[in-house]
Amino acid sequence: MTLLRLAFSSLMERKLRSLLTMLGIIIGVASVFAMLAIGNGAKKSILENFDELSTRTVSLRPLWTGRRSSQSRPYRRFDEADLKELAALPDVELVSGTLGREETAVVPGADWATSITGADENHLYTEGMEMAGGRNLTPEDLEFGRTVAVVGSAAASRLFGQSYPVGQTISIRKVPFEVVGLVAEKEGEISWGGDENDFILIPRTTARNRLFGNDWLVRNQIDNIRVVARDQGAVANLQNNIDYLLRRRRGLSAADAPDFAARNFAAMQQSRAESGRIFTVLLASMGVISLVVGGVGVMNIMLVSVTERTREIGLRMSIGARRSDILRQFLVEAVVLCGLGGAIGLAVGYGASQFAEKASVQNGEALFKTVTDVPTALIAFGSAVLIGVVFGYLPARRASRLNPVEALRHE
Amino acid sequence: MIRTADLRKTYTMGGQTIHALDGVSLDIPDGQFVAVIGASGSGKSTLMNMLGGLDSPDSGSVEINGQNIAGLGQKTLARFRNETLGFVFQSFQLMPRQTAVANVALPLSYRRPKPADANERAAAVLGAVGLGDRLTNKPTQLSGGQQQRVAIARALVGDPKLLLADEPTGALDSQTSDDIMELLVRLGREGLTIVLITHDLEVAEYAQRIITMRDGQILEDRMNEKAVAA
Ligand SMILES: Nc1ncnc2c1ncn2[C@@H]1O[C@H](COP(=O)(O)OP(=O)(O)OP(=O)(O)O)[C@@H](O)[C@H]1O
Ligand SMILES: [Mg+2]
Repeated sequence: MTLLRLAFSSLMERKLRSLLTMLGIIIGVASVFAMLAIGNGAKKSILENFDELSTRTVSLRPLWTGRRSSQSRPYRRFDEADLKELAALPDVELVSGTLGREETAVVPGADWATSITGADENHLYTEGMEMAGGRNLTPEDLEFGRTVAVVGSAAASRLFGQSYPVGQTISIRKVPFEVVGLVAEKEGEISWGGDENDFILIPRTTARNRLFGNDWLVRNQIDNIRVVARDQGAVANLQNNIDYLLRRRRGLSAADAPDFAARNFAAMQQSRAESGRIFTVLLASMGVISLVVGGVGVMNIMLVSVTERTREIGLRMSIGARRSDILRQFLVEAVVLCGLGGAIGLAVGYGASQFAEKASVQNGEALFKTVTDVPTALIAFGSAVLIGVVFGYLPARRASRLNPVEALRHE
Repeated sequence: MIRTADLRKTYTMGGQTIHALDGVSLDIPDGQFVAVIGASGSGKSTLMNMLGGLDSPDSGSVEINGQNIAGLGQKTLARFRNETLGFVFQSFQLMPRQTAVANVALPLSYRRPKPADANERAAAVLGAVGLGDRLTNKPTQLSGGQQQRVAIARALVGDPKLLLADEPTGALDSQTSDDIMELLVRLGREGLTIVLITHDLEVAEYAQRIITMRDGQILEDRMNEKAVAA
């Protein structure tokens, strides 16, 4: 306590100098704080865009291999056996496979080109959708290749208008399907150029056998697979397991380029958002550079201070200060200097990030969303204190090593 | 009780060897007021620094109350200075921006355990040296004699056994010097051992014993009948 008071009073004796010295620290802490606030804000807004389900969903699709199209082999599609083995991996909640195409659905008096998806009972769950009426697809529908359909709300209104679709019949490529279920409309942004609710689901087996045909190369083919992990923490491990499993099934060694992709989109977006923003990188480097430059400034000023106060140090030694007392006195002074700079820097950084958020509003939405919380402040402030300790140590040590006789005689 | 045995200290400056102390053996009983005089460069300050453990001899020993302080570690020496010694310097060495009380209380901030009544004790000692009405003045608001009183109060606040004063009157006029010396004499009568360094013979006359140094050696060591009788 007395040490703190001592440090404060000795800094107050040289207000202007202390303030100038703190400038580097202030800028450094402000940049670090603003960077963290904006980075966290970006991360948070990504997390808000992605719901909980997508954070634990791994999406699989086949890849084209080869660099040029002349060398590229047609991709190898997934099949039902892949799906079965994926479902048996640890930490898997469920899997779903689809194959789809754009086809025209016909009802008496109307027709509508929509996406016809051969799916299974888990597909709706992986889409985050729920039934509005009737029933979902069942394993039996797939087993017996039934000609049943579950329609999305947009497709239903195109085909049936206001009337209730369940129980009615739809023809796709002249194959009649009985509508057994209606999917509730999913609120959401209209994405990827299409309406999310515009689709018709039919059993995967039926799609293959009656509409699209069986691939002559890969029997029982599946276009896309989704694997949902039990929780987000298991996703990374699950991705490894999926990679291992598919490589084994495709005869690829660990060194081969994969001919499939297994991705967790939420994680990808998040890491891209964190590292990709040039602005964030810029702020981070500015923060670090300012902190180091500020630290050197603090060291310099502390060395000057030690020289100026040589006699004081000699006197303190003559009245019973230990070396460690002197060391601590100057170290605390450097830390207080940096801590003050850090506090001012926090205020500046907070102001700056609020300003960035306000100033970047376009169409009612801020380009830089910021999250200013206590841990962020602690990190920024802590880095200032750390700088104080690191760069204050050398001057403090020099002070503590002075010879008292010479120090007292110093002019 | 102070006892030095064959103290030696040499400095080499530009190839030249200076014997700052050249075999000083000295006994000072408790409660004695000793003045050390001698020409400039005769080794007076060097001797005082040895007695105060600020400097260590090349050879010989310094015993204070039976303890050889030449062999003590840095921490023990700091504690010894804090508890047993009081220093007074020619140039006062006060903290310019702190009040008289804060200056006087400073040594207590290094005492372990730290006394809770440091400021009260500082104020009391300031009262004893005649500055009871200047407690919150800063050094720049005090005369030279008053500043030296503050410095003496600072040396006394920790209840030392030994007061070491290097030219305490060197920066003062003769009237103020006399006041300071009378204060030291009074402290000596109260039982404090005092080693006073001066080159002023008139000032030395206040002491009970006068040691004259030359070239790092003791030239003369005599009792001062006037002061002993007084
Ligand atoms: N750090 C040092 N380096 C080199 N020589 C030194 C050092 N300290 C003291 N000396 C020399 O030792 C000798 C004794 O010095 P000291 O300070 O003890 O003299 P003094 O009697 O106190 O003189 P004064 O009355 O001028 O204060 C001097 O010749 C001085 O030059
Ligand atoms: Mg001297």
